Amino acid sequence: MRNKLLFGRSIDTGSWVHAVDPRAKLTGMVLYLIAIVAVGSWPALVVAAAFSVCYMLSTKIPLKYYLKAAKPLWVLMVFIFVVQCLTVDSGAALWRIGSWTLYSGGVSSGLIAAFRMGLLVSFTAILTFTTTPGLLNQGLSGVLKPLRRVGISSERLTLMMSIALRFIPTILDETHKILKAQAARGADLKELPWKEKGRMLVSLLVPVTVSAFRRAEELVLSMESRGYTIGAPRSEYHLLAWTARDTWFVVSYVLLAAVAVAYRLI
Amino acid sequence: MGETGWAYELREVSFAYHPTHPVLHEITLGIPSGSWVSLVGPNGCGKSTLAKLLGGLLAVNGGTIDVEGTRLDRESVTKLRPRIGMVFQNPDNQFIGATVEEDIAFGLEGRNLPREVMVNRVREYADKLKIGHLLKKHPAELSGGQKQRVAVASILAMEPGIVIFDEASSMLDEKARGELLAILRDMKRTGRYTMVSITHDADEILASDRAIVLGGGTVAADLTPEELFRDEVLLADCRLIAPYRIRLQQELKRRGVPLPAGWGPNGEEEADL
Repeated sequence: MRNKLLFGRSIDTGSWVHAVDPRAKLTGMVLYLIAIVAVGSWPALVVAAAFSVCYMLSTKIPLKYYLKAAKPLWVLMVFIFVVQCLTVDSGAALWRIGSWTLYSGGVSSGLIAAFRMGLLVSFTAILTFTTTPGLLNQGLSGVLKPLRRVGISSERLTLMMSIALRFIPTILDETHKILKAQAARGADLKELPWKEKGRMLVSLLVPVTVSAFRRAEELVLSMESRGYTIGAPRSEYHLLAWTARDTWFVVSYVLLAAVAVAYRLI
Repeated sequence: MGETGWAYELREVSFAYHPTHPVLHEITLGIPSGSWVSLVGPNGCGKSTLAKLLGGLLAVNGGTIDVEGTRLDRESVTKLRPRIGMVFQNPDNQFIGATVEEDIAFGLEGRNLPREVMVNRVREYADKLKIGHLLKKHPAELSGGQKQRVAVASILAMEPGIVIFDEASSMLDEKARGELLAILRDMKRTGRYTMVSITHDADEILASDRAIVLGGGTVAADLTPEELFRDEVLLADCRLIAPYRIRLQQELKRRGVPLPAGWGPNGEEEADL
């Protein structure tokens, strides 16, 4: 099951991007998000895409891996495109079905929105391909540290996230097993009509939820037996050290975001 | 090792999840430091509950538990917990880290150890448990046996004096079970650990020093594994089957076939068979 989930998996090629501090990568991701949200034209998006591709090539990870990572999210991209086509009514009328008209503005903004989504996924893939989950959590914990001032523990938050991420493949695997068990008793999800599929999913949700709670209980026991105490000071297995390279990495994204915002304002 | 010579001293320990349904009733027993004890009994007899009480994960309703001479209670549990390690049944549900090395390091981080110590400790115990080549692996990339080795390494890296195995081999295949048993035997040989196994595995019981049979919420029998496997009534009560070599030995004896001197049932002579 996990082999099918390329997204969220680190691939070590030893590139310089791999060595960049995860806090820098997370900051870069936020800046990249600002940049692609700020730009609304094709030339600007192409520049952002070129920027992203440069980093992808620097990771020494074949581009096909990035395409594979984006593949499970194509439904979401199509959905975004369709919503834009259905709701935007600017530009020339292209097609009319009954009372609904497809406008060129809708198609254009739909394509831009889907492309933005693709860019975001590709950049997130750079982050996850080049950073192990442990480092990513530690980076996230570092980035979220200011939240302590408002009473939110960044360590607890990242521990919750890391456990959630850690259990995704396990719970997917279990869901797969329950589906097979149901199919063995004559309720094959693939062969059922959509209405029945909906009902089946509800009956799938109950055992999966029960199992997730049982796992959570056992995990808590395991954590407690290993001396985990909420709020107690903990040392860190991965040590993060900020270098000049990390600064330059962030600077490149600051420039991209600044140019994008300026382009938008002008 | 405890100054008293006892890893555990239980006096009239009682426990109930609900007042009307007591699980354990006035259990009194002692476990000497450095020994290996098997807790056996039919499903639902309270073995795992007793294991959780011993591990400080549950608090007794009545009676007392002393761990290496210190009373186990709400105040002392945090101090005593580093002395006690627990390995659970499902290796998947005790894998906390995103990778093997992070999982082994999880307990060490809680001890606030310096990074160099953690790195050395992770490497040392990964090598001891023969998982040194798996340090960067995600749990989904490991077999059940490998995950259970990681669980044992995670506990041993914390260097506890007492290790409790709560049906740790029950979800493993035959090969992985044999590997886990070999680890337990190695641990026993070091003399550094007091081990408590909650198990249905005949080979694991046989390898231990002593078998405590639970039944009806109390200690039904406290005997050597050899004595347990000779007692057909107890075996039936515990839903256990004696290992093949014991059954063979008993059958040979019954038929009057002389056995070689020193040919005992403790598993060491298995190769002679």
